[in-house]
Amino acid sequence: MAHHNLHTVVRFEFLRTLKKKSFWVSTLIVPVVVGIVFGLVSFSGNSASKSVSAQENAAVTFSYLDESGLISDKLGQDSGGTPVTDRQVAIDAVRAGASEAFIYVPQSPARTAIQVYGKDLGLFESAKYSAVATRMIAVAVKDKVNSPELTALAAGKVSFTQTMFKDGKVSGGIFAVIPPLLFLGLFYLVILFLGNQILNSTVEEKENRVTEMILTTLNPTTLIIGKILAILATGAVQMLTVGVPAAVGFVLLRGHAGIPDISLAALVPEPSAMIVGALLLTGGFILFSAALVAIGSVMPTAKDANGMFGTIVIMMFVPLYAVPLILSDPGSRVVQIFTYFPFSAPVTAMLRNGLGSLSGIEATIVITELFILGAAAIAVAVKLFRHGSIQYTSKVRLRTALSRR
Amino acid sequence: MTITPQHGPAISVSGFRMNFGNRTVIEDLTFDVQRGETFGFLGSNGSGKTTTLRALLGIYRATSGTLHVDGKPFTPENGGKLGYLPEERGLYKKEPVLDVMVYFGQLKGLSRQAARVWSLAYLERVELADKSGTRLDRLSGGQQQKIQLGVTIMSDPELLILDEPTKGFDPVNRRLLMDIIDEQKAGGATIVMVTHQMEEVERLCDRVLLLKDGKAEAYGTVSEVQARYGTRTATVVFTGTLPEDPSYAVLQFRHGDARSESGADLALTEDADGAELLRHLIGRGLQVSSFTTSRTSLEDIFLRIYGAGSQTLEGAL
Ligand SMILES: Nc1ncnc2c1ncn2[C@@H]1O[C@H](COP(=O)(O)OP(=O)(O)OP(=O)(O)O)[C@@H](O)[C@H]1O
Ligand SMILES: [Mg+2]
Repeated sequence: MAHHNLHTVVRFEFLRTLKKKSFWVSTLIVPVVVGIVFGLVSFSGNSASKSVSAQENAAVTFSYLDESGLISDKLGQDSGGTPVTDRQVAIDAVRAGASEAFIYVPQSPARTAIQVYGKDLGLFESAKYSAVATRMIAVAVKDKVNSPELTALAAGKVSFTQTMFKDGKVSGGIFAVIPPLLFLGLFYLVILFLGNQILNSTVEEKENRVTEMILTTLNPTTLIIGKILAILATGAVQMLTVGVPAAVGFVLLRGHAGIPDISLAALVPEPSAMIVGALLLTGGFILFSAALVAIGSVMPTAKDANGMFGTIVIMMFVPLYAVPLILSDPGSRVVQIFTYFPFSAPVTAMLRNGLGSLSGIEATIVITELFILGAAAIAVAVKLFRHGSIQYTSKVRLRTALSRR
Repeated sequence: MTITPQHGPAISVSGFRMNFGNRTVIEDLTFDVQRGETFGFLGSNGSGKTTTLRALLGIYRATSGTLHVDGKPFTPENGGKLGYLPEERGLYKKEPVLDVMVYFGQLKGLSRQAARVWSLAYLERVELADKSGTRLDRLSGGQQQKIQLGVTIMSDPELLILDEPTKGFDPVNRRLLMDIIDEQKAGGATIVMVTHQMEEVERLCDRVLLLKDGKAEAYGTVSEVQARYGTRTATVVFTGTLPEDPSYAVLQFRHGDARSESGADLALTEDADGAELLRHLIGRGLQVSSFTTSRTSLEDIFLRIYGAGSQTLEGAL
């Protein structure tokens, strides 16, 4: 009976959300806007990089004065330059418009800036003078060093591979840290995006005056759990709606137009950290959603309830202030408090789990704590719902509600 | 599923007390509702009727006392088949009519298909068949009431608790509602109804309880209450001298003169018989030209108990 009702509640709540136009508008607005912005950026990015490469090849006529002796006459000539001897005269000529540009290479270009004077051709076009100067210096260096390899190294074009060991095994480094931290990201996403829905959904029976019908027809625990499950399901639908096109776009456009070419194969999920992460996420979610239900139950309207949502969000972000400490000194008292205090525990523990500083014992304690408190919080939330929802217009006094059965 | 005992009262309340803060709304209330009967739960505004029903159904927690449905405190799981029409009406306003009805049908244990079939038939009956896909908040108040009533009587409840069921209905729909209640009653349902329409009570209820100052002021069958609080009166128009008799007391007397006869309103004792009294009067030589007996209506009794008349009632007793 109860099981059957749970299924009925989830189905009803899930389907009626999906049937709403506003749901789809709010779900699709983000990817559409992101798509448009992305399109605009990559379009203008393309045209910008086109104009940059055009500048590099553009024939420029200019005068130059080389005090470093790096630029040979041939190089200067090949680049389209005419050597001059008086710096100030050359600058005045550019100012008067008699000459297009003047490049001054000081005695030690490594220490003193190369000066470029030119006719203003607008933000993008004007860059061509510096481009010419840079190219001349690069060629001059290559000629001097006479080794393309050394030139490349001198330009800082070095690549590395890095292998680190942990407990006698090769550790994944940053690629081992990322996967368990994904749970933390997911936790923030879920609470930020679905938290408000949990609140509104809890207040709904009250706002629609349907509480008495509901309370005499089914167990409120079934209703609350059903609502939370339905919201998770709609969240999954939202993620798929946004995620699938994003993933397809990523695969198709990978390496193009400024999209970084990350290979997922490089990520090395460590099973124990993943399990701990998943359990922390689940426990944290139960605790936070129960808190949201409790808030929704005591508040007379969705508007009042939404004010309280801010408090929950702040509790989620407070542990981030301790990140430097979590990184440098995970054993410190502050970090310990954050690890065990219920509302900062999920975030702190997930962070430490990702960074590898959460011991097995600590993980066990925090997970147990989250699940026990989560279950207790749900029981309290249901009690508040039971006695709170009948107070259609006023706030429930916590003591009154809890003193009831 | 627990098996509901088929004996014992459907509802039994004893020593029920309800405080809100330090205000006592119900002081000490004891009553039973028998299986299959229609029970009128009456009282003035604010006398605590809704509060009692909510406490009975576990929505409020009683300050003290026991309130049982089928011999145990009510929970949705063990309450058997309940149809409750709360005073505070409301359904999911933004959903289509049929969806909401089917949802509640399923929660009450019907299959989706059965709930659908039942709902469509009901909508047909209450002339809302064309509204099955309409959002509830697009219906008129009375139309929403019909939907709510439908949800209440869905899945043939064994116990119907109706808090002011006729509120908001026009006379046509009030008749429809009465028919529906009659059907449920004929089907064997136990019905508890709160109403302020005394003629509905006289028409439908087997027994009534009148709540006053947190206690049962009157409790029993409609005629028992009438007998206790009302009077049976006989109005006689006659010429001659009215004899004295233990079976009545004179309430009012008009002396006749040359042009008119005398008249009297007589309060009859409970065991007095109208026909016998008439024979008795004629036998005593009275020339009776008109003789009618009547009972005080529940409405008058209600007015006497709760209205300005309650003082005179005190005086009369
Ligand atoms: N939740 C509550 N908190 C405080 N007082 C309440 C609450 N519910 C009801 N009351 C008080 O209890 C008294 C009885 O209310 P109740 O709603 O039971 O009256 P009623 O007999 O149903 O009246 P009506 O005929 O107007 O519906 C009222 O004075 C009301 O103010
Ligand atoms: Mg009432």
